[in-house]
Amino acid sequence: MAILEAKALNKTYTVDHQDIMVLNDISLTVEPGEFVVITGSSGSGKTTLLTLLSGLDKPTSGRVFIDQQDITGASEDDLAPLRNRMIGFVFQSFHLIPSMSAMENIMFPAELQGLSNAEKKARQLLERVGLADRADNLPSQLSGGEKQRVSLCRAMINDPKLLFADEPTGNLDSKNGRIVFEQLVEMKNEQGATLILVTHNPEIATAADRVLTLRDGRLTHKIQGLG
Amino acid sequence: MSKPSQNHPDQWTCKLIKTAICTTTLIMVFFLYLAGCSGESASNEAALKTAAAKQTSRKTIVAVGDSLTAGLGVDESAAYPAQLQRKLADDGYYFNVVNAGISGETSSGALSRIEWVISALKPDIIILETGANDGLRGIDPDILIKNLDRIVSFIKANNIEVLLCGMKMLPNMGPEYSKAFTRVYPEIAQKHAIPLIPFFLEGVAGDPRFNQPDRLHPTEKGYRRIVDHIYPYVLNVIK
Amino acid sequence: MIHGHFIRREIARSSKQAILFCLCVALSLTSLTVFSGFSESVSQTLLTDAKKLHAADIIVHSHDKLSDELDSAISDHIRQGKIDRSRYWEFYSMVRTADDQASVLSLLKVVEKGYPFYGEIVLKSGRPFHDVLTPGQTVVEQSLLDRLGAGIGDSLQVGYTTLIIRDVVVSEPDRPVNVFSFGPRVFVSSKDLDALSLIRTGSRITYVSLLKVADDRQIEAIAGRLKQFASPDRERVDTYRTARTRVKRFLDNFIFFLKLVGIFILIIAGMGIQNTLTAFFNEKQRTIAIMKTIGATHRQIIRYFMPVVVLPALLGTVLGISAGIILQQGLARLLSVFFPPDMPFAVAWIGIFESMALGIAVVALFTFLPLLRLKEVRPVVIFRKEKAVPHKHWPVFVSAIGFVLFFFGLVFRHMQDLRFGFYFVASLSALILVTSIFTRLLLWILKRLRIRRMVVRQAIKGLFRQGNATRSVIVTLTASLSVIFSIYLLEQNLDTTYVKSYPADAPNLFVIDIQPTQQEAFSNFIEQPLIFYPIVRARVTAINDKTIDRRAERAKRRDNLGRTFNLTYRHSLLADEKIIKGSQLFRDDWTDPQVSVLDTVVDMHKMDIGDTIRFNIQGVPLKARISSIRTRTTDTFGPYFYFVFEKKTLKLAPQTIFTALRVEKHRVGLLQGRIVKMFPNVSVIDLSATIQVFARMMKQLSTIIKGFCILSMAAGILILISGVFATRAERITESVYYKILGAGKTFVRKVFSLEIFIVGLLSGILALVMSQTGVFLICRFFLDIAYHPFLLSCGFIVGATLLLIIGVGMVSTISILEKKPVIYLREQPDE
Repeated sequence: MAILEAKALNKTYTVDHQDIMVLNDISLTVEPGEFVVITGSSGSGKTTLLTLLSGLDKPTSGRVFIDQQDITGASEDDLAPLRNRMIGFVFQSFHLIPSMSAMENIMFPAELQGLSNAEKKARQLLERVGLADRADNLPSQLSGGEKQRVSLCRAMINDPKLLFADEPTGNLDSKNGRIVFEQLVEMKNEQGATLILVTHNPEIATAADRVLTLRDGRLTHKIQGLG
Repeated sequence: MSKPSQNHPDQWTCKLIKTAICTTTLIMVFFLYLAGCSGESASNEAALKTAAAKQTSRKTIVAVGDSLTAGLGVDESAAYPAQLQRKLADDGYYFNVVNAGISGETSSGALSRIEWVISALKPDIIILETGANDGLRGIDPDILIKNLDRIVSFIKANNIEVLLCGMKMLPNMGPEYSKAFTRVYPEIAQKHAIPLIPFFLEGVAGDPRFNQPDRLHPTEKGYRRIVDHIYPYVLNVIK
Repeated sequence: MIHGHFIRREIARSSKQAILFCLCVALSLTSLTVFSGFSESVSQTLLTDAKKLHAADIIVHSHDKLSDELDSAISDHIRQGKIDRSRYWEFYSMVRTADDQASVLSLLKVVEKGYPFYGEIVLKSGRPFHDVLTPGQTVVEQSLLDRLGAGIGDSLQVGYTTLIIRDVVVSEPDRPVNVFSFGPRVFVSSKDLDALSLIRTGSRITYVSLLKVADDRQIEAIAGRLKQFASPDRERVDTYRTARTRVKRFLDNFIFFLKLVGIFILIIAGMGIQNTLTAFFNEKQRTIAIMKTIGATHRQIIRYFMPVVVLPALLGTVLGISAGIILQQGLARLLSVFFPPDMPFAVAWIGIFESMALGIAVVALFTFLPLLRLKEVRPVVIFRKEKAVPHKHWPVFVSAIGFVLFFFGLVFRHMQDLRFGFYFVASLSALILVTSIFTRLLLWILKRLRIRRMVVRQAIKGLFRQGNATRSVIVTLTASLSVIFSIYLLEQNLDTTYVKSYPADAPNLFVIDIQPTQQEAFSNFIEQPLIFYPIVRARVTAINDKTIDRRAERAKRRDNLGRTFNLTYRHSLLADEKIIKGSQLFRDDWTDPQVSVLDTVVDMHKMDIGDTIRFNIQGVPLKARISSIRTRTTDTFGPYFYFVFEKKTLKLAPQTIFTALRVEKHRVGLLQGRIVKMFPNVSVIDLSATIQVFARMMKQLSTIIKGFCILSMAAGILILISGVFATRAERITESVYYKILGAGKTFVRKVFSLEIFIVGLLSGILALVMSQTGVFLICRFFLDIAYHPFLLSCGFIVGATLLLIIGVGMVSTISILEKKPVIYLREQPDE
């Protein structure tokens, strides 16, 4: 059973009355527990694809299924519980809520769900990534690597089945990048989650089960790594 | 907000003054609004026509006076000069009776314009009704006497017949004043040997049936009574 | 717990927006509190004042004894304990000194014990009125003593009896209603009425029954019932509410103005609320998008942000109501100077509750749209992929309908006039519609201009930058500026019409009926420079040879051509006149009679330069051509003339002379007496008391109006700031790029200030045009006062506004300019 399925996705932007096709007829299937990397040159549409697959944006045409559920026509509020429980996000620029401390940021998705053990869970996660002493710091007081580890914790707190990561190491130096990436993969494996990661870092791509390459909005399948 | 039409600044100035005026007097001469705001009726268009039709050799009676002559608050055709002209005509006396009444005018005002009226209208007979406003303003009766004396002298000097209308003062003005006032008219009539209507408003004054709500100005019905009352005096002069 | 931190930090992060938002809420509540409360207490006061002006709740006037029907109806009510009655009789009479040496026409008021029900007769001695006015005694006005040369304790012959002068009356509550009187007041006790013996057949007496109603709510009902018994022509039943006076008329206008200002301020503040909230949520857009990405529903997000909105709103509410109460008190103190001291100027708690409720409604109303827009925030914005989200239209419609209904309701509630409510809402909608059309047009033109200078070009480009809300900023700015300009203009117009009409040195004595032969003697006698106005009484008989239909004219409710006019002749304009048509008063090239007419006459009947008017001057026809049309610049007690002729035309016509002079109040009685002695045919009308009261009152009111102007200005400044803030975010990015590309601070500053200048100029000009139109309409059709455009001061105020806008804009961008581009870029999480 595929956890994620995309059928004939198209995405067109209209700028100054001119249609620009960003994604062109993309279909793919991701099985549970898979680690898929989407790669491609800058402007090839990989982030756009990620937003479509995760339901953050709607395709111009085509359909996306998450856990057999068609999310293409779903409203924002229909998607909210899905995002909250099924999906975790890690972004290149972290996107922590600036007015919440590290702890609060991590707890937030659990709180939205109404979990009573949110704080306990958040603390465990913080300890897991080695940031227990940074719990009360605001994002602005954290370094890039720390921020990304916090956002990793936030992504994991509701035990998601699907993880989306958009260049998670793109804003980090190589050392921090490696730490974050390792922790990400570790957590994914522990959880048995599926990871879909956008990057143009070939080193990361080698770790994937499958690498999808985008060129001019089209997918060129390429099997790589251990499989 | 009430209707704009009521709110015109002049309009309420008018109303204000009206309130004051109506409680006080037969209408005073005033630069702002005058009697006009309560809707003065009498017109001198008849006079104009008369002036134009002078050559038809009809004789002219000019009714000089204040608002009681002008017919304040009634239609021009209802004021006494118009009624008198009709009544005369019915009896075969074809006269033009010109309404030269001015609301709010005192005897001083009448004196100041008598020359103008005579020179412009060339009357054969003048019916002189003035002094009521003097009384309502408490002006010294001696002034009234002097003014009437000069007016009558002037009229006579122009070889015009004059019929003097007597006036009485409202009792509320006080006994002394009313007495002094009432004496004025017979005195003048006697001095100049001219016919006198002892009291112009005889049978009309103070009677709510013949007066407008202000209790000072006669209604059309009131004017009919006035004309009936003065008619014999006028006939006397004509003959 | 987490919530508390979040709210605190969110507010702190957007402290400027929060403060602005809070101030906007405060402002709207201040204005609401002040208006609901204050106008309530003012109109209460005015009504009580109106009671005092009439000394009773219900007033029955007649020139006869009351009809039996009405009298028994009144008696019935008295028996049932529903009303009290006090009668008085008022009439003129000549009163004389005991030695018969001097006499003076006086206005007698014979009063019963209960008089007056409201207000109080103040005597010079300070004793209670009815203690002094016992049978055989009298209380008189000072000018009577002056004119008779009498003093307290002397006897006075009134009617058929003799009374002793016991005291001097200083003020009489129901006197101002009848401003003009030919003689001084004499009070007599009703027990002496028979002794006076002046009420006889033919006497002209005003019979007045003052009624005091036990239950205030019954006043209208009882008056209505009594009216049914009154004989329609002869008996007049008024309540203190229905009897109108010039003062009341003015105060009506004044309250109307205040309410208008209040509602305007509310609108401005509302727009400010919407602006600041929109800007606030724009800043929060990213946070909201993240929350959505994490799976927060719309409702959850609202739950998180609601307190962030509600907290400043609450603070604003408290602030606004406190300020409102303080202002109310201050205004009350200002007003109390000329209102009776026993008038309770308590804080109107009902007004406060009402304004609380209204305040919540306003906040909710103006928060609706920004909050709803939250829903439209798509999580994808964190990738900055999709900038301009196409807005749904229905929320705009819903909130627009909400605004319309709300303000219509508000206007209706305060003005009690459906028609005006429609006008108000319609004109408001028109204002916004016209503004947006014009803005569109002007922007379209600007876009097509080819401009060489880079700074200008960049500034204009800035107006059209992606996602820039230039049009909505201009619309909002224009709308609020229009309102402020309108208030300013209205204030100026009211001031000119009312306040400046009562200068301290305005003439207080009018002298009428001076004979031409007496002019010189009178001039010598007065010993001060006087302007003599000859008056010639005449009627208008035809215009352009078309006879005036006198009956139709008189049927008009307004001033009409059917009445007698006072003509005059002179060759110069009066100080408060100006020519609006024609080059000069009279034409040199015309030899036939000419007349200059006042614009009021043109309102009565269409006429123009060169048209002919036929007059009938006391029996003599005169045809004159219109040489010029004049207007009056003030609405004073001063003399004015509808028709002005050349001297040669009217020199010979019968005329009297009018003049006005200024005399110290204490000298009035004496002078009046001397004038009457020397010029017995001349009548003097004393306006000093009236003018004094008006002048003082106008001054107070003008202060209050100015206060409200300042309040609305404050509202305007707020919205200005909020408007500039709304576009702040875009400007930050731009400035960073300019700087990165090597532009100096000066360049950035120039571009920004020019951009703001253009926005300000467009809004300012549009607002000026619209406020002029609006105020013209209001002056013309609602207040019925003369309209002046005050172009010079308007230019000044537009300039000041521009300066202010640029100032605010610059201040708000200082932090941007000072910021190092690197720091900014680091803060901006871009791909």
